Amino acid sequence: MKIAKTNNGLIALMFLLPSLIGFAVFSVLPMIVSMAVSLSSWDGLSKLILFDDVSGFFQEFGIGVANYSNIFATPELYQVLGNTLKFVAMYIPLMLIAAMSVGLILAKGRRGSGVLRILYYIPVITSWVAGALIWRWAFSPEYGIINEILKIFGISGPLWLQSAQWAMPGIVLASVWKDMGYFGLMLFAGLRSIDAGYYEAASIDGAGKIRQFFNVTLPMLSPTLFFVIIINIINSLQIFPQVMVMTPGGGPGGSTMVMVERIYTRAFSYYQMGYASALSWILFVVIFLFTFIQMQLQKRWVTYDV
Amino acid sequence: MKKIIALFSAGIMVFSLMACSGGGGSASNDSAPNSTSAGDSGAQSAAINFDQFSGSGDNEKFLIEMIDRYKDQNPHVDIKLQSYGYDDYFTQLSAKVAAGRAPDVFELNYENFVAYAGNGSLKSLDGTGIDTSVYNDMALKAFSKDGVQLGVPNSFSNVILIYNKELFDRAGIAYPTNDWKWADAMAAAETIRALDDNIYGYFHPLSFHEFYKTVAQNDGGFLSADGSSFTFNTPQNIETLTYMVDMQLKTNVMPTEAQLGGMGDWDLFKSGRLGMIINGIWAFPDFTRDCDFEWDIVVEPGNIRKATHFFSNGYVVGNESGVAEEAAKFITFISSNPEATQIRLDAAWELPPVNDDSIISQYKAKTPPANREAVFQSLDYLVTPPVISQFAELQDIVGRHLSDAANGIMTPEECLESLQAECESRIDLSK
Amino acid sequence: MTSNAKKILGALVYWLFAGIIAVMVCIPFFWMVSTSLKSRGALMSIPMEWLPKEPTLDAYQKLFEIPFFAKSIFNSLYMAVTCTVAQLLFASMAAFALTKIRFKGQNAVFSLYITALMIPVQITFIPIFIILTRMNLTNNLNTFILFHLFNAFAIFMLRQRMMTIHNAMVEAALIDGAGWWRIFFQIIMPLCGGALATLAILSFMSVWNDYLLPLVLLSDRAKATLPIILSGLSGQYQNQFNLMMAGALVSIIPILILYVCVQGQFKEGMTVGSVKG
Repeated sequence: MKIAKTNNGLIALMFLLPSLIGFAVFSVLPMIVSMAVSLSSWDGLSKLILFDDVSGFFQEFGIGVANYSNIFATPELYQVLGNTLKFVAMYIPLMLIAAMSVGLILAKGRRGSGVLRILYYIPVITSWVAGALIWRWAFSPEYGIINEILKIFGISGPLWLQSAQWAMPGIVLASVWKDMGYFGLMLFAGLRSIDAGYYEAASIDGAGKIRQFFNVTLPMLSPTLFFVIIINIINSLQIFPQVMVMTPGGGPGGSTMVMVERIYTRAFSYYQMGYASALSWILFVVIFLFTFIQMQLQKRWVTYDV
Repeated sequence: MKKIIALFSAGIMVFSLMACSGGGGSASNDSAPNSTSAGDSGAQSAAINFDQFSGSGDNEKFLIEMIDRYKDQNPHVDIKLQSYGYDDYFTQLSAKVAAGRAPDVFELNYENFVAYAGNGSLKSLDGTGIDTSVYNDMALKAFSKDGVQLGVPNSFSNVILIYNKELFDRAGIAYPTNDWKWADAMAAAETIRALDDNIYGYFHPLSFHEFYKTVAQNDGGFLSADGSSFTFNTPQNIETLTYMVDMQLKTNVMPTEAQLGGMGDWDLFKSGRLGMIINGIWAFPDFTRDCDFEWDIVVEPGNIRKATHFFSNGYVVGNESGVAEEAAKFITFISSNPEATQIRLDAAWELPPVNDDSIISQYKAKTPPANREAVFQSLDYLVTPPVISQFAELQDIVGRHLSDAANGIMTPEECLESLQAECESRIDLSK
Repeated sequence: MTSNAKKILGALVYWLFAGIIAVMVCIPFFWMVSTSLKSRGALMSIPMEWLPKEPTLDAYQKLFEIPFFAKSIFNSLYMAVTCTVAQLLFASMAAFALTKIRFKGQNAVFSLYITALMIPVQITFIPIFIILTRMNLTNNLNTFILFHLFNAFAIFMLRQRMMTIHNAMVEAALIDGAGWWRIFFQIIMPLCGGALATLAILSFMSVWNDYLLPLVLLSDRAKATLPIILSGLSGQYQNQFNLMMAGALVSIIPILILYVCVQGQFKEGMTVGSVKG
């Protein structure tokens, strides 16, 4: 062990080298550039001279933190951020329940569940363009299948995508539909890697199905679950294609305007690249905070050693 | 921590090595696509990079045919065509421009033309010796800024009223005429709506473009005469919006979005269950192919006065282009040369933006619709959208408010008050 | 209740529940297939035609008439395979270093890597495009391999898997005189079979659908990937839904095939996965 210990740094570097290079070139550098752009009034309609001439760029376009102060001064940010958080708050719990159900159904491994494994994955590979078309139809207040079903139970359904109150829940439902196979598959892989021996030991100890779930399955699955939650937070704060295709233009009363949709619109439709970059750094901070909190909380519930 | 710094510097060193070697190579390559590569013989050969969206998909073969004609006549020129779908065309264009790799020639729709023209990234076509007299005046003017011609129109589409003759016959009422007013249209629409629960009378999209035109029909406008302030909440505008909302929510001669349930307005018309639709002439090829009933067109109804609008796409030359003169010649050819416009006409690909009598009479002679004269009569009433630097943003804000009004979330009056307030706070008219 | 009845009831509940989800999941897919078989006129009729009255393969025929359509499928396959392999290899190497080789700052490197997921790609894609342009890497399918040297998502996922593998296994191997590479390839990688299989599908899928960067980087039509060709179908005034759905279906098939093939891996993942050695 002694030899290994003294050389560890170099050995780790050897294994990390490809990813470090990729990280520096395709993550750090673009992030530095977007940070610089966020301090400028560059519109995206001319050559970005930043790469050749930093001081020239700032002489021509530099406006300090004006983009940031503008953003914080307009009510749009708070509305958009609120919408985004609303999505996250509804999406993540629903998603976890749905993905867990899918994972458990698949892991149960009854005869024929191989077919389910394929079926459940289909929404994941269905493009959002197709998904949105069908969901817009399903949410249609008069002819849509969802309100038809609600009618059976005597409920008169809402206007869904055409109402300021229900448009976002509609998008949440469609998103859960699209993603549950994705995260269900990950949880399934995690469930599969739990040694059957743990369950045997537990049942010898007299633990019932429910106690087994909480005492064996959840702890053993916690590293995967932790990963799924972090990725979910990061991804759902960056929700984008579904709102663009399901409620183009920001939805009723702007109720489905979300951060990345605004960033994309500002950058490539309004040609305010500086403003859009500043907005994405604000989003970065939000995502960072959420992730950081999760990382701190993980010590309490994620077990890597049982 | 030291280790991390060491790791990073190692990574960044490797990168800079790569970048340096790459940079060295790109220095020569960077300019290559844009510049004239003079041959040894002294004959000027030129390669023109050409990005566009309107000639994608079905229309691309016609565009290639035009390009081939041009190449036949100018063998020293090579055209490198890049076709993109509409959705991401402007995103990729922006990336190329940012990287200093703007194509020599590219296509812009009117909204994006305003953005690029304001930025100085387009080459002035004045002084390149091209002949602009052949173009339709209105379309040509759309691609100029402050008297400088910065692009040429390649196609031209205006908006008219298309109607289903059979439904008019069934309802026993007279066909629309060019003199119709809003009230005439609504009366006919209600009669047709009464035919069947699944038949609608009228379809007038509640969009930015439709709205600015329709307020003009009622002597209203978005901006004050001097362009210094917004005038959304005037009585004329409120009356206009009430008219446009009522046809959905009150008389319901037009289906609401809920009633459409995801179906397209064109498809509703094609299925024979829509009496009249306000739409562009680009629908002709589709309707000709898919409608199994008779249909025709007239100039759309007005109120206090008539007003119509048009859409146009144009070709421009990038400011950095090293082959600007060749590029200017090329875009003039494919947008206005008789051979090229003939190809466009034969393909029924919008309307060539030229004054050429032979082209226009050929266009009029095609049927359906029988009354193609109305396409040209409509041009007498053209109004143009306000030219402001935050055009796309204005368009979004207006569009969002209009759909709230159409969904009944706000009354027309509330909608226009809120629109006025939001535009005043977000859009700077002084720029 | 007899245990037999209990079993049957259990199966019933299982299949009812599983079946409901399956139907929910499949309706849109079914609709895609049906739309792709419609002629233009029948596209959007009320009431909606669940099954086209006159099914036609027109849309598919038209699709394959698009220049370079078939070529683009091969380009996409090439890109997806090379990038997936690269991503799996480099990400496992990184995850291995971040979990099994102790060095100072391990957690710091990991945390930094994760931040890469927090900036929207819509903003970084222009700088990335410029960097690749300057490195003279446009119009080259192999460029995308470079782009997958680092993938925070993959590293994170594999790290989580490797964390659950006992360090004692690595230590024992070291004492036996095994080198780090041997430990990596012969002990750790096989133990991650299930996770790698899952990641392979996810990565293949994301590269296969990758769109914005290829669109700007691969301007040469002969190099275009499938999503680029399909994006050409979007129009300024109207979209051709039957064509778009046919295109979407064609682009799903390779992923489905891969998915069905890799499925076997999952079972293996379980039997090999005696986690704590």
